[in-house]
Amino acid sequence: MMYGVPGMVARRLMQLLPVMIVATFVVFSLVYLMPGDPALMIAGDYATPERIAEIRQIYGFDRPMLVQYFAWLANVLRGDLGRSLFSNEAVLTLILARLPHTILLVLYSLLLGAMIGVPLGILAATRQGTRLDKFITSVASLGVAIPSFWLGIILVTLFSLGYRWFPATGAVSMFENPFEAVYYATLPAVALATSVVAVLARQVRSALLEVLGSQYIRTLRAKGLSSRAILWKHGLRNVSATMLTIAGLQINRLFSSAVIIEAVFAVPGVGNLISYSALNKDFPVVQGVALVLVLVVIFTNLLVDVLNATFDPRVAAST
Amino acid sequence: MARNLFGNTPDITRRSLLAGTVAAGGMALLPAKARAQAPQPRSGGTLRAVMPFNPAALDPLTGRNNPDFNVLFMLFDALIGFDPATLELQPMLATSWKFTDPKTLVLELRQGVEFHDGTPFNAEAVVFHLQRSMTYERSNIKSDLAVIDKTEATGPYQVSIKLKYPDATLPAVLSDRAGCIVSPASVKAAAGGNVDRAPVGTGPFKFVEWQDNTVIKLVKNANYWGDKPYLDGIEMRIVNEFNTAVRTVTAGEADIVLNMSAQQMAVARRDPKVAAEASPSMIYYTSFLNYGDGPLKDVRVRQAMNWALDRPVLNQVLWGGLGGGHCSMFPTGFWANDPTTENFYTKDLDKAKALLKEAGLANGVEIQTFTWADQAAVQRQEVVSAQLAEAGIRLKVTPAQPAQTMQYFLTEKKGHMLLTPTGGLPDPATTYDRQFSATAYRNAAKIELPGYRELMDASMNEFDNAKRKAVLYKMQRFVLENALHLPQFTSAGIIVRSPKVQSFAFGLLQRPRFHKVWMQA
Repeated sequence: MMYGVPGMVARRLMQLLPVMIVATFVVFSLVYLMPGDPALMIAGDYATPERIAEIRQIYGFDRPMLVQYFAWLANVLRGDLGRSLFSNEAVLTLILARLPHTILLVLYSLLLGAMIGVPLGILAATRQGTRLDKFITSVASLGVAIPSFWLGIILVTLFSLGYRWFPATGAVSMFENPFEAVYYATLPAVALATSVVAVLARQVRSALLEVLGSQYIRTLRAKGLSSRAILWKHGLRNVSATMLTIAGLQINRLFSSAVIIEAVFAVPGVGNLISYSALNKDFPVVQGVALVLVLVVIFTNLLVDVLNATFDPRVAAST
Repeated sequence: MARNLFGNTPDITRRSLLAGTVAAGGMALLPAKARAQAPQPRSGGTLRAVMPFNPAALDPLTGRNNPDFNVLFMLFDALIGFDPATLELQPMLATSWKFTDPKTLVLELRQGVEFHDGTPFNAEAVVFHLQRSMTYERSNIKSDLAVIDKTEATGPYQVSIKLKYPDATLPAVLSDRAGCIVSPASVKAAAGGNVDRAPVGTGPFKFVEWQDNTVIKLVKNANYWGDKPYLDGIEMRIVNEFNTAVRTVTAGEADIVLNMSAQQMAVARRDPKVAAEASPSMIYYTSFLNYGDGPLKDVRVRQAMNWALDRPVLNQVLWGGLGGGHCSMFPTGFWANDPTTENFYTKDLDKAKALLKEAGLANGVEIQTFTWADQAAVQRQEVVSAQLAEAGIRLKVTPAQPAQTMQYFLTEKKGHMLLTPTGGLPDPATTYDRQFSATAYRNAAKIELPGYRELMDASMNEFDNAKRKAVLYKMQRFVLENALHLPQFTSAGIIVRSPKVQSFAFGLLQRPRFHKVWMQA
């Protein structure tokens, strides 16, 4: 049996397959049970009943749900995510074309959130009870409450339609022009980052307050260590696990928030793809995107755990 | 000028639209000196267009929805064209067509035309295309051509189509998907004959690239058989969210956005740097009724519902007065629309209540209704519900996604009524056929009332335009007298554009050809 970080990674990877099967089965069931017949969508505006029946037979919609699911799963295990019912494009191609846009948005907003949220949390914790602390706490509460799509529209109105500093819609591929890509992603990333700033500031503040109030910090103070040294050497190191965990959770949440922000800014990402496909009951695409998002969540959590275990070996031993 | 519901901007009404049309026509009568000041068309530039719908396919046979035509008519010429303002049929790839007998249509084809792949357009290509339309497994238009018995190349540029029964609508069908001729060589070269994403036609623009649900890029066809297009190319972006789509034009990131609704028009008109325009449309808002079962089996109940609606108010409230507030399925002025029947039903609550009482429903009636779940549809349902409630007709509403509502009401035969937009077909007889014939998917009752079949057959069998018009007038009256549906108002085709975009016409069918569009410097 393997121990330590490699053992933890191996155990997590073994859990991957059953988690993926359960998650994709749940998504498949939900899409299947949603009322509406994809054959109607494929047949078009003026379909005849005969054509609708023919399409059901061609695409296999007349087969039982479990048969359809396991046929899809068997193909996935062979590395084939299938083709879109509507565009006939390979699902993997569709996802790979869009995933970079969403990853850029998520990482950009996470970076912005961390760059602003963590310092705010530290400021609030080190100045507990002051006006600055109250101000930061209030702003953080507001940040959690503001819907990102609303903020997105306000940002567009001000900085795109008003000052014309940023584009109102669209995206540029990172592989074509990285600077343009970041420029285009700025407003949607800011809209997404607001809640990250708020959550990180609140969590870092409360975690840091707990650490700074602990006995060993009081001992360090009694030994004459400066406040700066206590904060940077001992306080922040001890809240790093909290920060990593929150950041991991935020990545997962940002992928789901991207669905709406991508619609507001017309970003051709996976959020846009899954919402459009779900409305059209495009099973293979919805399933493919769900599978990719499940993988993203699993690997993000795994990365967070690995980093935590690296910083603190006790974590590896306990998982 | 009237004020609209959205603020202080002057309202665009049908009257102002007509005035605009007359003014445009009047330009032609201006002295040459005055006309010389009007901007002259210039070649060059790439049009940045936006539409909210991703086409399902760019093979005209396997595509399925009307907005696909925003791109299809760039790539494909149809056998028979049409005047976008009147739908009068015009020569296109066929220079002429004639029924030599009621069951034979002969098409004379244009010579010297090439597909984008350089192969020649001729009678063989047309026969191949029509055969493929009727036999290809993935063809969605087999039913459109069910009347065809045999197609034959009776000369290098002549095609004869033998019919199973007389059908005067066939030329109009050939101006639709079925007439958009695809290069046979491209079909033969494609795996499984699938050219969904590799369209090759004879149209004014050639296909370059399609990033699904993102952008479609086209370039000018320098070998076009007619007048060369002005634009060097077109980039059609797909932005699903309507308000975001309009922002692309107001932010200067696109030149024109198509298929908008009255709400976006109101927003765009606040921006003096863009032009928001509405034009009459063949799309109309109605309710399909199941008149074979339940309370709507009684014609008096259906008539009562029709008398209860105040259509001018519906048009004003729901479409900002841009559509047609009458009970016809066609816009005012359309050749098959009888102006004397257009307002067959006007709001009359006394009549509505009397009819309900006569039907034994003096205390009112509950109608189980399906409607789309989007915000505009729910708003529409609320206004219609409020008007019907005044007569004692209570709607019990189930909102759902469009495909779900179709499944519930038309496939599973649940409920009594479905609120939906429909229409958009080039021939009026086909419009009636697809909604009211017993075989029509949209006829939930699957029955035809006495008298319907005779009128339907007459509209198919009559080849003389004046006589056909008379038959269609009778059909319009029959549908309204029997209250076969609950029409609410006709729609409008709405676009927002930069003033730089010139000569764009959306037309009655909202199937634009960008052939003559040009950009000011």
